[in-house]
Amino acid sequence: MSVSKGLVDDVLFEFLHAELVSYVLNSSKDGKKGDVTSLEYIGFSSGYRIIERLTKEWPRFKDELETMKFICTDFWSSIYKKQIDNLRTNHQGVYVLHENSFRFLRKISSGRQYLEAAPKFVAFTCGLIRGALANLGLDCTVTAEIQQMPACKFHIQVQKN
Amino acid sequence: MAVCVAVIGKDNSPKYILCLNPNQELQFHYRVHTSLDVVEEKLKATGDRDVRELYIGQLYSTEEHKIFGYVTNTRIKFIVVVESSNTSLRDNEVRMMFRNLHSAYTDVVCNPFYIPGDPITSKNFDNTVRRIMSGN
Amino acid sequence: MSRQGTRLDPKKVNSELFTLTYGALVSQLMKDYENVEEVNKQLERMGYNIGIRLIEDFLARTSSGRCYDFRDTAEKIQLGFRTFLGITPTISNWNPSGDEFSLIIDNNPLTEFVELPDHCLNLKYSNILTGVIRGACEMVQMEVSSWFVQDQLKGDNVTELRVKFVKRLEDAIPAGED
Repeated sequence: MSVSKGLVDDVLFEFLHAELVSYVLNSSKDGKKGDVTSLEYIGFSSGYRIIERLTKEWPRFKDELETMKFICTDFWSSIYKKQIDNLRTNHQGVYVLHENSFRFLRKISSGRQYLEAAPKFVAFTCGLIRGALANLGLDCTVTAEIQQMPACKFHIQVQKN
Repeated sequence: MAVCVAVIGKDNSPKYILCLNPNQELQFHYRVHTSLDVVEEKLKATGDRDVRELYIGQLYSTEEHKIFGYVTNTRIKFIVVVESSNTSLRDNEVRMMFRNLHSAYTDVVCNPFYIPGDPITSKNFDNTVRRIMSGN
Repeated sequence: MSRQGTRLDPKKVNSELFTLTYGALVSQLMKDYENVEEVNKQLERMGYNIGIRLIEDFLARTSSGRCYDFRDTAEKIQLGFRTFLGITPTISNWNPSGDEFSLIIDNNPLTEFVELPDHCLNLKYSNILTGVIRGACEMVQMEVSSWFVQDQLKGDNVTELRVKFVKRLEDAIPAGED
């Protein structure tokens, strides 16, 4: 029954992501089709589903911090080829992930005029993180702060309910 | 091997229940409901080592049935009911059932047309569960 | 910070993430557009945009030269599937004049976990592939058209993608030269 499964090459994901951003950048003025929210949601959906696969063989997470560390290490490095450079937390539900060289910001210029377009390159990833955490039981808001490309900070705020 | 399988969502509502004997369905719905309380208790148990495993073992048993549980990192619970008279059923066979259920569930979640939290209506999933229940 | 648990394989994760992202995109397009034909067109268009860039990567990686004939092209497209999707479709069903062939795919990574609901029967889920082929071929001066003849998502045994040679495109004369 087992059919040899092909592995999709990394480069296709780069191209797909770039095309998603493009689709959003060129969306019609009324913003109905393909605005940043859609891009974030595509990321959310992907993150939610992939975490189901990734944690299949993983021991149970002890607590919130352990879950965050998983996102910063194993999860991040299997997608973005490196671990998060720094994780800060106030131990009260706020986490900041420091990424010194974000994969999707490296390809675009560091000039300030491109800073405007930069949010579109991190939207998918914000959604990805939010989706992954949501499926692990942590409802969060995730935003990105870009001051100096290609560095980026992801701010995660766990919602208390 | 198994007479009933249930998949319970994060909100503790059932997403899928299959009973080989439709007459026992109501009874099993009740059993599954009771199981959830036992699951919660077991998850709170102190002793780091035990809680790490996704398989949480036998939840309880009645004269006729033994009930086993498994909880994923994403808070999805699988409940499997076997007949008490089935004494040849080994621990690793039960674990294998859960692993296969988990794999099948993961595939459902990865279907882009499935909305997580909805009842599971996938034919593939149904076929797989039936196969698992018969011991394959 | 390492702990017990299977190490995640980045290649596998990226591959699965691609499949899931593509699925989420199709889902989103189904919400954005009222009718399925629009979704099919949008997927083809996005495929085209990817194809025109992907070809450079392909040419660099495989050191491919010019295609001698359309059979050569068929083999290169097959190689493209192997390089980027990790599968090797079978080339078959050539027409008598040799300008049309089929790619038989039976383990499409795009559709790995997909089960089409009943209201999506006119959706060409993998239509991005037809665009990629069109875009890539255009960059090497060939106009082709491709379409799905069979689809495993719709109950067929295999997925069959038909490719037809339309015409050779004139080499564009770069601006500024006589």
